[in-house]
Amino acid sequence: MASNSAEQVVRDFVARVKPEAPALELDTPLYADGVGLDSLEAAELSATLEDELGSDPFTSDEMPQTLRDILAFYAEVAVEA
Amino acid sequence: MTSEPRVVIITGGSRGLGAGLVQSYLDSGDRVATCSRSGTPQVETWQDDPDTSDRFLFVPADLSKSADAETFVKAVVDRWGQVDVLVNNAGVARDGVLGLTSDDDIDTVIDLNLKGTLYMSRLVSRRMLVRKRGSIVNISSIVGRSGYRGLAVYSATKAAQEGLTRALARELGSSGITVNAIAPGYLRTEMSHGLDEAQLQQIVRRTPAGRLGDPEDVARACQFLTDPRNNYMTGQVLVIDGGLTG
Repeated sequence: MASNSAEQVVRDFVARVKPEAPALELDTPLYADGVGLDSLEAAELSATLEDELGSDPFTSDEMPQTLRDILAFYAEVAVEA
Repeated sequence: MTSEPRVVIITGGSRGLGAGLVQSYLDSGDRVATCSRSGTPQVETWQDDPDTSDRFLFVPADLSKSADAETFVKAVVDRWGQVDVLVNNAGVARDGVLGLTSDDDIDTVIDLNLKGTLYMSRLVSRRMLVRKRGSIVNISSIVGRSGYRGLAVYSATKAAQEGLTRALARELGSSGITVNAIAPGYLRTEMSHGLDEAQLQQIVRRTPAGRLGDPEDVARACQFLTDPRNNYMTGQVLVIDGGLTG
């Protein structure tokens, strides 16, 4: 459930800030050679995920590189809950 | 007064300059949240006054602790949903020559004045990025520019705040967020610590304006910097010292 919500939040965010980006697949890089998010947009995505879902994969030890990384973070959060 | 009430965070607003800043934004019709380690009679007055009680939020917090800063900002966002203005005012000083300053005193001053400012700016700027607008004002001090005997650590943190101001202005400018600083001179507040009456009178004699500053002098400058119409001014330090360092 949390993963579905996270996926929607990410997809909505990318559609809003990078409408020209290639189709977002699970392993599409979020930054260069992929969606093309810059560091400020990554911070904005981080804050948006925190606001929407109450936790934020960007505060974990490794910065998420793909949508799959983000969904894995929330799957782990769900298991721990 | 702007047409829509803004959500304004002023750190360290329970007394002194911070209380003057809180009063200014309450007077301009805004919603104001402040924090300090403990409440004061002034805080209770704002909480009890029917004119301000629903526009005022106080959260006990020690901003030298990241978790406290997070709790404070979360309380503001939970209540009002956004932050339009952040004024990093909370600060502490320990006077004495550096050669006799303890590790604890160095940590106390750096942890609140610098790390607390970084914690709050990080938490709030993230939310401002989402909305693509906002204003941050860091309250530094003229001693961060001119130095002052016996205030080496405090002066260092205030100079650092000005560096932070310039860096953050560059970082956030394209997102519609302004970041400026105010460097007050000597005010008639509790932060004129360690200065006896003779020293204060000497400062007055050297000040072209012929008086010490009041919190209202700083508050008016802060209102100017956080007026959304003044969004072409960023990365600057306004010195409000009656001309003392001019």
